[in-house]
Amino acid sequence: MLKNLKVASFLAFKQIQRGSKGTLFLTIMIIALVFVNLVFLPSIISGVIETFNAQSINFNYGNLIIEPREGDQYISDIETLQKKVERIPGIVGTSPRISTGVTYFYKGRDARSTLYGINPQDERSVTKIHEHMIRGAFLSAGDTDKILMGATLAGSEGEEGGGLPTLQGVQVGDSVEVAFPNGERRTFQVKGIYETQSIGVDTSAFTTTDAVAQVLGLSDQASEMLVKTSENGQEEMYRTRLLSYAIQQQVFTFRQKAAGFVDQAIQSFEIINAISTLVSLIIAVVVIFIVIFINTVNKRRQIGILKAIGIDKQIIINSYVLQVLFIATLGALAGFVLNAGVIYYLTVNPLVFPGGPVFPVVEPATVARSIASLFAVSVIAGYIPAWKTAREEILDAIQR
Amino acid sequence: MIVAEEITRVYRMGKVEVRALKGVSFTIAEGEFVGITGPSGSGKSTLLHILGLLDRPTTGKVLIGDRDVQRLSDRQQTLFRLKRLGYVFQDYALIPELTAIENVIVTSLARGLPEAEYLKRGVEVLREVGLGDRINHRQSELSGGEQQRVAIARAIVNKPSILLADEPCANLDSETSKSILDLFKQLNDDLNQTIVMVSHEKWHERYFCRIIDLKDGLINCMRECKVSR
Ligand SMILES: Nc1ncnc2c1ncn2[C@@H]1O[C@H](COP(=O)(O)OP(=O)(O)OP(=O)(O)O)[C@@H](O)[C@H]1O
Ligand SMILES: [Mg+2]
Repeated sequence: MLKNLKVASFLAFKQIQRGSKGTLFLTIMIIALVFVNLVFLPSIISGVIETFNAQSINFNYGNLIIEPREGDQYISDIETLQKKVERIPGIVGTSPRISTGVTYFYKGRDARSTLYGINPQDERSVTKIHEHMIRGAFLSAGDTDKILMGATLAGSEGEEGGGLPTLQGVQVGDSVEVAFPNGERRTFQVKGIYETQSIGVDTSAFTTTDAVAQVLGLSDQASEMLVKTSENGQEEMYRTRLLSYAIQQQVFTFRQKAAGFVDQAIQSFEIINAISTLVSLIIAVVVIFIVIFINTVNKRRQIGILKAIGIDKQIIINSYVLQVLFIATLGALAGFVLNAGVIYYLTVNPLVFPGGPVFPVVEPATVARSIASLFAVSVIAGYIPAWKTAREEILDAIQR
Repeated sequence: MIVAEEITRVYRMGKVEVRALKGVSFTIAEGEFVGITGPSGSGKSTLLHILGLLDRPTTGKVLIGDRDVQRLSDRQQTLFRLKRLGYVFQDYALIPELTAIENVIVTSLARGLPEAEYLKRGVEVLREVGLGDRINHRQSELSGGEQQRVAIARAIVNKPSILLADEPCANLDSETSKSILDLFKQLNDDLNQTIVMVSHEKWHERYFCRIIDLKDGLINCMRECKVSR
């Protein structure tokens, strides 16, 4: 068996060594491109999911979000709840928020969106909005007449929001009047403008809990409480843990909150990906098949000679399969390098999606699957033509 | 021993039938050096192909060493060719991608010989046929006669018990032909190898024990030669 493999690899090696380098190179490049195609789209999809998850965690929900019991508008005894949750192992931060729909007025323009009342110190322990200030500074405790605005809401001079709320050019230091749902109006001075690339967040504004609570007449209450866990990806486990600590309110993971939108997007992506994978693999099959087919047809005579001098048919077929494996290996390697180049480029110049910049994420499982399917396809596409040619009668192959 | 019993071979090309062999019987003893002669188209190559298990007779039987070789499966026949037969094709049939030495040693490789041994033996055989300085040349870099000698080297490298050669000297000058025939004779003498060789040349006859002369697919005559050994 080993000696058969030796003969097959000897023949394969000589053919590659003395065959057309141009054809070899082209075939390898085609395999490489197929590989890129197989890996690239899934890595963008993974990137989109990753970005979306990161955005959700960093700006919208934290890892977990606690909401009032069914029927309640607010969570009460929020300080007690906060202390209780923060004592649970693995919880590294909590941030109660009061959210309310308001109307902003600025230079005769108005816009409706959400205003959050936060405790700046708590918010810093959960979200990363404070790291995304593009102008001015984040809130501090006691800033009861200061407001932070999302970049979209603040807008820029003369640019309509295209359906999104915008005040078209609010600057740090400007005064903005806010009308609350209970009819009360307050003037806030803009302390900073942030940009997170998350639409929902960038169209909102933040002030301190004290300011909002005062206007709405709330005390020790919150609309929601964001919870940060020590690591990402374990949200289900932490949710169960929170529930086991007898938290009476509703606890959601960020995934549950974001579910509808992401799931739909991912499903569409998966369909696109499946089609693209199928097409790439078919291209690979056809190309390899044609290359090996032409190769074996041109070598009919020589295959006949090998059989005539006593080389087993299977050895001859194997020599072609080995050539294909060699081509596929180099193709996958070249594809890997090519893909790394594309990924590097897109990491430096990320694609910008509605959820934020998307960095491609190459998952080892995707790479492994692509390599496996490339090899499977190559072997089949290499085996069949070799097998067909090697089946011919010896003299037919040698003489005509 | 090779026994041919009433071998016929009919080629069908559409409606036309070409009867290349019309019933040929003979026995060749082990260690015999037999010449096959006859005019062009008389069926010499066809007969040799059948003896070399490269083709199957339309009817009739071939026994080699009491074995009905037609009964062997494709794979067993391949193995039989590898282990027992050496074949020199009329048109050399070298593998163009391989060098002279690689063409010669590929069957030794398939037989599982150790590398050092088959390389040494391959070079030795190429020297014997006078190609000691052409070892690493490829087919395209060799003359017709040199290619023919590579084909001969490939056929004898494993010292097969039966050597079948289809006009092995067709492209060689008489001096080289003589050295090749001397080599065959030496193998025949030293190793008791059976040799069946197609030939056109009258002067080859002195090497043969016997001549089978074909004409129109039949044996015209069979005669013993005065062997000059
Ligand atoms: N594959 C084939 N298909 C049809 N006819 C064939 C085929 N091979 C040989 N023949 C015919 O069979 C007959 C015998 O051919 P063969 O090659 O055995 O002759 P030969 O004695 O070897 O001739 P030469 O001395 O020219 O080599 C010829 O008439 C030839 O045309
Ligand atoms: Mg002939």
